[in-house]
Amino acid sequence: MKKRLYLELENCIGCRSCLAACTQCGGHEERNRNYVYDVNPLVNRQTMPLMCLHCVNPACARSCPAQAIQIHETGAVLSALVEKCIGCQNCTIACPYGIPKFDTEQNLMYKCDLCIDRSKDGIPPMCASVCPSNTLQWLTDEEIEAKQKQFNLDNGKWVTSMPYLEGETNVRVNLPGILQGVTKLF
Amino acid sequence: MQKVEYRNERDKFFKEIENLQHPNETLVKTHCSYCGMQCGMNLRVNTKTNKIIGVEPRYDWPVTVGKMCPKGVTAYQQTNHKDRILKPLIRDDASLKGTKEGFREASWEEAYDLIAKKFTELQQEYGKDTLSVFSGVSMTNEKCYLTGKFARVAMQTRYIDYNGRFCMSSAAGGFLRSFGVDRGSTLPWTDIHETDCLFIAGSNTAECHPTSMFRVWNVQERGGYIIVVDPRETPIARRADLHLDLRPGTDLALANGIVNLLIQKGYADEEFINKHTNGFEETKELVKEFTPEYTSQITGVAPEKIIRAAEIYGKAPNAVVMFARGIEQQHKGVDNVSGYTNMALVTGKIGRPKAGVATFTGQGNGQGGREHGQKSDLLPGYRKLTNPKHVEEVCQVWGITPEEMPQPGVSAYEMFELMDQKTIRGLYLLCSNPAVSAPNLNFVRKAMKGLDFMVCADFYLSESAEFADVILPSVTWSEDEGTVTNIEGRIIKINKAQEPLGESKPDWQIQAELAERLGRGKYFSHLKTARDVADEFRLASKGGYADYYGATWDKIEKQDGVFWPCKDENDPGTPHMFLDKKFYHPDGKAKICALPYRPPAEEPNEEYPLRLTTGRVVFHYLSGNQTRRIQFLHDMCPEPYVEVHPETAAKYNIEHEERVRLFTRRGEAVYKVKITEAIRKDTVFVPYHFGHDQSINLLTIAALDPISRMPEFKACAAQIEKLELKKVQ
Ligand code: SF4
Ligand code: SF4
Ligand code: SF4
Ligand code: SF4
Repeated sequence: MKKRLYLELENCIGCRSCLAACTQCGGHEERNRNYVYDVNPLVNRQTMPLMCLHCVNPACARSCPAQAIQIHETGAVLSALVEKCIGCQNCTIACPYGIPKFDTEQNLMYKCDLCIDRSKDGIPPMCASVCPSNTLQWLTDEEIEAKQKQFNLDNGKWVTSMPYLEGETNVRVNLPGILQGVTKLF
Repeated sequence: MQKVEYRNERDKFFKEIENLQHPNETLVKTHCSYCGMQCGMNLRVNTKTNKIIGVEPRYDWPVTVGKMCPKGVTAYQQTNHKDRILKPLIRDDASLKGTKEGFREASWEEAYDLIAKKFTELQQEYGKDTLSVFSGVSMTNEKCYLTGKFARVAMQTRYIDYNGRFCMSSAAGGFLRSFGVDRGSTLPWTDIHETDCLFIAGSNTAECHPTSMFRVWNVQERGGYIIVVDPRETPIARRADLHLDLRPGTDLALANGIVNLLIQKGYADEEFINKHTNGFEETKELVKEFTPEYTSQITGVAPEKIIRAAEIYGKAPNAVVMFARGIEQQHKGVDNVSGYTNMALVTGKIGRPKAGVATFTGQGNGQGGREHGQKSDLLPGYRKLTNPKHVEEVCQVWGITPEEMPQPGVSAYEMFELMDQKTIRGLYLLCSNPAVSAPNLNFVRKAMKGLDFMVCADFYLSESAEFADVILPSVTWSEDEGTVTNIEGRIIKINKAQEPLGESKPDWQIQAELAERLGRGKYFSHLKTARDVADEFRLASKGGYADYYGATWDKIEKQDGVFWPCKDENDPGTPHMFLDKKFYHPDGKAKICALPYRPPAEEPNEEYPLRLTTGRVVFHYLSGNQTRRIQFLHDMCPEPYVEVHPETAAKYNIEHEERVRLFTRRGEAVYKVKITEAIRKDTVFVPYHFGHDQSINLLTIAALDPISRMPEFKACAAQIEKLELKKVQ
């Protein structure tokens, strides 16, 4: 059963466990590939993760002159192949979300590979495994559909970004506002 | 053998997931070394080197289903860390006390000889009680149990106490008074998300118990309510339905105010009150005074918010009242606990699933560690040293006579006072770092420095170890096995993943060997493994109300933990307390407590106009002795800071990231300013995980709760001074 990374940004508590977990994934050389931002640090404690969305037609891969960014059969947009990457940094500029990171010492791009050694076998990525607040989840398409129904208001107000943002992505995102449609119990 | 196959609940968050298994690796199932959540984790062990090399989520643990905070994810890095102490260390030059300098490596033989010689000399000259033991609860029940026995049987001193006095003792005191029993949570965590209202006071849950958060948020997703009481807009307060932003140290007024409204507005459950409680009429009279307006005057919370909070809690079919150190680390911490507990007792929202009262246990074994005899007046199984029958029972297990059992001692902070007065001249310190975590540190550090002889067992050279004459290398949690009792009161199993690094040894082994040197070997020599200690410990707890006798390691594995009390082989344990509406006072009733309000010990004035409060950040644990050494955690939070509201900052003409002098009547420190609107204008906050001149406890007050002897870490009066010359970075 295919599972996807699904984000509920409103849940984030800023613990950065996703960053710590990313360093622990095999083949990640103890470097995290994800980001967490303080939305308005002088005002409140709101935070949100910024994750690779694994675009179906990824700008990073399209921009790469060396075909160093492969797309796995699961849809995961992989980290640059060491033997192909020429370190031009096109991808870091092309990505609309600024996801690819650059290692100047190795002259190599590295990015989220959806923990491919895990996710290819259906094991949740490290970040989605540990996220204490369920901001990051690893769900089946049915579960995501149920979420979408839950969060779309009857009045037709579009409160989620699902199914996708501008272009089609493998990761599904729920923007702040997940509680808008909830009816109070009493 | 257990007759019925029982297993604790696996709820809707539980998913069957297989772990990633790398070649040449085994996974050892265990739990995190740090907080009371005790998140499940697998340690990855390389089968060639037999060393711990990483972490893998433990999806099969029903409480946390694979989730961990960043401390848990990186916890494994403690074990083979370069800062580990690998051999005993001796310092011959006492003038270097209070520094890292002057230690030399020694053999265990030499270290034991020296300790035995010094301890014996001191006791011959000044009496048995000149020695003391200061312990902690970030270790297994077996170690906690044996430390109590070690102090009383091997060292034969009355002076033993532990860092739970800075952590859980007010919750313990409050629960004992209200319920007659001290189990931190009356219900399992798998109930939390199914309740209709969470009333959370003085808990920065998102940072201090992060892996509770998926359940907490789920209450709102289901249409339930979250009410948060905190002087700061913490991440959980930010999204709460209601944030009661009270002045630090005024909780009791708020609790009384809400109880008053619950009664006035008809939310009291008269049948429950009549049948199962005492003290209602008296309390009703006392809280009458606490009208929303009067409560608002004291707490600074708007009257409408207080009324709304009472309405939501009162209406909720099921609700859980939760609290933590914010209300407990006050000189009326016990009253605060009983005060908020009154909400549940007056409305009868307790003694059934999805409703009850819980405290967020701070330390990994904050629950178990306080039950089995490390406290100055307690013996295993939550028995009392002042009860001759209890003493008799424990003496039988220990093989000593009641005359040989030392008298009760004094609380943690008071031990430092006795050191200062030279009543105590020797100290055996383990599993704690009071040179950072105790209040009024200038005094505490001086008292430690003045000791004639001090031993410290630790796996890193902590700030407190800097005062020691001998340091004994102990092991990390992953190099030993045993049980821990988590935030819920669930007894769980910690497993060994690696052999002790260098010459380090588990504390129980060190204590058994040292007992031999002190001529008390016959009481300890049968304890050859952690399991031997476990078996004796279960027996010692048998018949006490914290009865662990039936919680065998085998049952813990099979059932996903065992909730105490668990009396025998056939008893599956007690996930929910008081389902029969029987409380543990002799008449079976709970006590609704009439609690007159007292302000904080030190109120602000012109000279010290600000309220100083302290707490944790998500990246560090307790004194930071462990977490400050972990690269990721250090990078995320390398130094303390003082949180200041922008309007307050403007008054002092100070800016974001500027360094300022913060001071109280007791001490001072320089901190970087962090401007945030998420704090009261009259309050400043500093995290407490840092050592030496960065310790906020240089400033905190040692006003102790009369019952729990808990210091008032959470409220004192402070002042900020702009530094003349802005320090060049
Ligand atoms: S682990 Fe989850 S809650 Fe924590 S920072 Fe990352 S996304 Fe946010
Ligand atoms: S940096 Fe490497 S991966 Fe990125 S575009 Fe250039 S060659 Fe391709
Ligand atoms: S999916 Fe894996 S690689 Fe991507 S951010 Fe999460 S942990 Fe890192
Ligand atoms: S510190 Fe607490 S919440 Fe964090 S992983 Fe460890 S047990 Fe879990």
